[in-house]
Order: sequence, then C-alpha cells, then structure tokens
Amino acid sequence: MFDRIDTLRMASSLTAHASARQGLAARNVANADTPGFRAHDLGRFAETYRSAPATELRATRPGHASGISWGGPDRAVDAGGEPAPNGNTVAIEDEMIRAADIRREFDLALTVTRSSLSMIRTSLGRRV
Amino acid sequence: MSTPLSAVELAASGLRAQAVRLRHVSENIANTDTPGYRRKLVSFQQEMDFGRATGAVTTSPTRLDQRELPRIHDPSNPMAGEDGYYSGSNVDLVVEIADAREAGRSYEANLRIFEQARQMGSALLDLIRR
Repeated sequence: MFDRIDTLRMASSLTAHASARQGLAARNVANADTPGFRAHDLGRFAETYRSAPATELRATRPGHASGISWGGPDRAVDAGGEPAPNGNTVAIEDEMIRAADIRREFDLALTVTRSSLSMIRTSLGRRV
Repeated sequence: MSTPLSAVELAASGLRAQAVRLRHVSENIANTDTPGYRRKLVSFQQEMDFGRATGAVTTSPTRLDQRELPRIHDPSNPMAGEDGYYSGSNVDLVVEIADAREAGRSYEANLRIFEQARQMGSALLDLIRR
C-alpha cells in the first residue's frame, strides 16, 4: 500500500540499488587477486531510475503486477580500470571509494524511508 | 538476488582464500632452510556452481614450485652427497614477504567490506525495530 507513495518507492529502489552494488563490490574485493577477473559495478542510480518508468506497464486494476521501477542487479557493467599482468582489473583503492559511496547512498535511502514512515505515522495521529 | 547478506558471504569467501594464502606463505617461510623443500603455491579462482560463477572466490589445489632446487656446497652436512653438495629449498624470502604483504592488504579490504555489509544489514533491521 505504501509503495504507492513515490518517495517511498524511490527510496526502496535506492536501497535495492545500494545493496546490489554492495554485492558487486564485495565480489570485486573477494576476487582482487583472481587472475583474469574483471571488476563490475552498476550504472548510476539517477540514470537507471529515470530511464525505467517508460517501460512500465499500465495497471488498470490493483491486482495487476506493476513493473519494478529499477532494473535490478542484472545491469552490471564492467567498471573498467587498468588490468594487472594477470588480467585482473580490480583496484582495492577504487573499491574502497566505491564502498564509501555505496554507504552514503544506502544511508540516504534509509533516512528518507525513515522520515517518510514517521510522516505517515504522524498523519495517522500516532506519536512517533 | 544480491542482498547485504550475500555480500557478507562473498567477503567471507575472500577472507578464507586470503587466509589460506597467508598460511602457505608462513609454511614456506618456516621451511626456508629445510633441505629439498619445494615452495607451495596456491592461486585463486572463481567458485563455480554447476558451471556458473557464483562470484565467490576459492583457492586452487596446492601446487609445488617446480623451479630447480639450489645446490649448496657444505661437505659437513649429513645430507651432502659424495661431491659435498646438497639441495636446499627453492623458497625466496623476498618473494614470500611481498606475497604476505599483498595477502594482508587484500584481507584487510575484505574485512572492511564485510563490516560495512554487516552494518548495512543491521541498519535495515533497525528500520522495522521501532
């Protein structure tokens, strides 16, 4: 019911985006010394989110499944980077920066969710 | 599907693999002066599940370095042959130390990702706790 509220839906998409990115970053760091491994990352949220609603199906009944507004982790792209002699493109420093960025993204999404929820609670007349 | 929990598992696989590597390095260093000892090597590979990469990392089976053992001249050594030479170990301490440093660095990075994934998971739970 609450995911009708666009702010909450966007925040939950951002949470999903951040956690999928976190999974990719964990995979990159775990494979930091695997020969031939290529680092992966997701596209920026602002770009992938905005491009999504155009493909969304129109729901004429509440029972219709609505397309999720964010594509999911299958859109992983090669993060680039200079390959080491063994073909590995993971740079630990870059991954640390990425991890900090993911953390910020995740915290933002969580803060927005939390304040939206407290707004809903306030409107219901409950003490937060 | 990727969740903070699976990121924890991936980081744990990295920690395990680096620990195995570090263990082999310390075995090699301990046996630097063992006659006839061959350096142990492990390499990393992606974990496969029915032919599909799971993203986790595993260590390959241990291999022995096939580089020729150095011949050391010491007629008083009980291992020495008639010509006064015996074979030492092919461990290069400088290489081992460098390898240990790299393993330690990767281990630390995995640990940080592990910690962050764990914190993200518990922050998500905090949302429904109140």
